[in-house]
Amino acid sequence: MMKEKFARWHVLCLNYFKRDWKKILIWTLGLAAFSGGYIPPFVEISKGQGLIGLYETMRNPAMISMVGPTPITDPSNYTLGAMYSHMMLLFCGLFAMIISALHVTGHTRKEEELGLTEIVRSFQVGRQANSLAVLIETLGINLILALVTTLIMTVLKVESITVTGIVLFSLSLALAGMIGAVVALVMAQIMQTSTGATGSSMAIIGLLYILRGATDVSNQNLSMMNPMGWTYLTFPFTENNSLPIFIGIVFCVVLAIVAFALEGGRDMGAGYLPAIEGKANAKKSLLSVPGLFFRLNRGLIISWLVAFVVLGAAYGSIYGDMQVFLESNEIIKQMFTMTGVTIEESFTSVIMMVMIGMVGILPIAIVNKLYAEEERMHLSQLYATKITRSKLYWTTIVLSVISAIAGIVFAVIGLGGTAIVAMNGESTMTLATFMKAGFNYLPSTLFFVGLSAVVLGYVPKIGKAVYVYLGYSFALNYFGGMINLPEWFSKTAIQSWIPRMPASDFEVMPFVTITLISVAMILIGYTGYIRRDMQEGA
Amino acid sequence: MSEMIRIEGLKKNFGKFTALHDVTFTVKAGEVVGFIGPNGAGKSTTIRTLLGIIKGDGGSAKIFDLDVWKDSLEIHKRISYVPGDVALWGGFTGGEIIDLFMKLHGGGDQAKRDQLIKRFELDPKKKAKTYSKGNRQKVGLIAALSVEADLYILDEPTSGLDPLMEAVFQEEIAKIKKEGKAILLSSHILSEVERLADKVVIIRQGKIVETGTLEELRHLTRSSITLTTEGDVAVMENVKGVHDFSIKDGKAVFYADNESINEILLEATKLGVKKFESVPPTLEDLFMRHYEA
Ligand SMILES: Nc1ncnc2c1ncn2[C@@H]1O[C@H](COP(=O)(O)OP(=O)(O)OP(=O)(O)O)[C@@H](O)[C@H]1O
Ligand SMILES: [Mg+2]
Repeated sequence: MMKEKFARWHVLCLNYFKRDWKKILIWTLGLAAFSGGYIPPFVEISKGQGLIGLYETMRNPAMISMVGPTPITDPSNYTLGAMYSHMMLLFCGLFAMIISALHVTGHTRKEEELGLTEIVRSFQVGRQANSLAVLIETLGINLILALVTTLIMTVLKVESITVTGIVLFSLSLALAGMIGAVVALVMAQIMQTSTGATGSSMAIIGLLYILRGATDVSNQNLSMMNPMGWTYLTFPFTENNSLPIFIGIVFCVVLAIVAFALEGGRDMGAGYLPAIEGKANAKKSLLSVPGLFFRLNRGLIISWLVAFVVLGAAYGSIYGDMQVFLESNEIIKQMFTMTGVTIEESFTSVIMMVMIGMVGILPIAIVNKLYAEEERMHLSQLYATKITRSKLYWTTIVLSVISAIAGIVFAVIGLGGTAIVAMNGESTMTLATFMKAGFNYLPSTLFFVGLSAVVLGYVPKIGKAVYVYLGYSFALNYFGGMINLPEWFSKTAIQSWIPRMPASDFEVMPFVTITLISVAMILIGYTGYIRRDMQEGA
Repeated sequence: MSEMIRIEGLKKNFGKFTALHDVTFTVKAGEVVGFIGPNGAGKSTTIRTLLGIIKGDGGSAKIFDLDVWKDSLEIHKRISYVPGDVALWGGFTGGEIIDLFMKLHGGGDQAKRDQLIKRFELDPKKKAKTYSKGNRQKVGLIAALSVEADLYILDEPTSGLDPLMEAVFQEEIAKIKKEGKAILLSSHILSEVERLADKVVIIRQGKIVETGTLEELRHLTRSSITLTTEGDVAVMENVKGVHDFSIKDGKAVFYADNESINEILLEATKLGVKKFESVPPTLEDLFMRHYEA
């Protein structure tokens, strides 16, 4: 019986490896290079007093909430290895987790929706063979990732980077990947659609990340209860604690069993959340292009807005601890009193850039949605009505811009509202301060709308590339906050043209210029969209 | 303006691949035109060009005497279309999608909609993701047939429908035809075309290879002949217009070009005809010839 369910899984698994080899190559090499390859630049920045300075910066609660804690209590013990795992492990693990989760949903729920599973299952293949095959494939990929990372780090190794640490670091990455994979496998069983499965897995990963940010600052023992905690709490190169890895493995096995049990109990194509009977007639609010587009994007918009508020609130809650941190350290205290900027303001200016960077995801997703609808041929019948392409385009752009603005408002309210409560009236910062700091970045968000629009008009197939640029600028800003990058390099991220409020003053020029460039890009995209062939399926 | 559609020398490339080489045909008012050809021949591509979904690379295409690309908005007000693959939003019900389409098209008839839903036995309350292929097709058809139009463009409208539903579809099309509307109907189903179409356009590898009424097309093909004569029937093999000649039990079996029938008969009578059987060409033969060759 057991054997029958999983019959011929190895054939499928082998087939997946063959089919995916290019993806696997890019995935493992890229992520391993990113995870292991930063040793030389870190050697550079740690020269002289670099490590001690960084240690102080990284003990800032804001930094801990972003990159995680370090077990080091004495600055002189903050070796290069300690810093490396401190700054890199969580971030890289997060990437590994997301990619694995996307991969698993792609090969399970999505293929099921496309009808591929139905074909495969009509061959001599067990009911659950596909899930097992994907899981084993993902395990294989993550082990390759660990192996390549180990190799790269061994080649680049310096004295404080020990072999034990390297192996632990790499295994933590692989574990992170597998946690993402099993979470996605469970969600693939529960949700009705592949978008639902992807969305909910991402939401869970995001939530785990935010939760650990809060518990890392307040009580690290609680982070140990968080699956995401098990990756970086191994503390490679310092404590070299392998216990979390074992807990993680048990967790993965349990979740995998849960997923298989859920899958065994459902029909192909169905989910566990029941489908309710719908309406025979459409509501009036649906019967227009704006109404339709809002409905199509509603789930996306609402879930991201909630995510922005939660993210903002998580960061906002840290403001209460900041004074404590400041009091504890004389040097830092001096640093802030000298520049005339309070620690809260300084933190706000960094975190705002990070948050509004994330807000960029929503407008990009909305613009890309128009192409997704086109490619899935949902609009075919509508093209033949009096609805013009301009109407489709401008409705999308307007919806995207409104969502971008709403995203900023929600993120700011989440952050500012919580911060003001947490600070208990001990700061001069008001909600207006936060609002201004947030809307200061509006042009950069519009820039992403413009970029997606140009892509939609001329090269719609590479719509995902805009996310890559967003991720790139995000990473640049993220690391730019810790290490000094060359001016020209950091300027390739759009946000870095904008001064960081409230620590810096508002500047009109970049604000207006970037806005105008964005508008121009939107217009350029329009000329492409109304002229090109609609891509249907092919 | 008796010509609803006029396509002349239409070309379309997808990168290096030429999907349409030279497409030329017309659809007149009140005419039902069957548009047939093997998979990948270019039917859907032609239709998408007519709708301004993609842009032709040469030649011209006009509907209502207006350019299909530049004046698409004006054209779209008076046509109704069912795509070859009806893809629906999984989260909406069939009823919602039909309403949406009718509203965005303009000029829908609510009573007609309800009546069609009943006739096609569609459950409009179900989410589209639970529909079978045939049910998705019904949604597209009901939406397209519930609105007012002068020209209907239907790309394989009955794919996935069961025979009962196909019959319903044919009745509905017959009604529209009676109202004097023009219809361009792409199809692989012979009986459907035979029953509904006044004219057939056959496309192969991006070229129109045959156009005409069913009668005219039948005429173009060969009849299957069985002949027994008193003299040696073998000499018939060399007569002009005789093809695939064979002799079995003293009976000659061959195909004859319809325009050569007279000559063949004259030759046969010289031998003294004992028995002559002629089976007229079926459309099937015609189609198979174009599909296979
Ligand atoms: N967007 C596209 N990009 C590249 N090639 C395409 C595209 N659309 C169609 N083609 C190609 O053009 C040719 C004609 O396709 P088309 O869909 O018009 O065929 P069809 O006659 O409708 O076939 P079927 O009976 O299977 O529906 C095919 O070879 C197809 O692969
Ligand atoms: Mg087709």
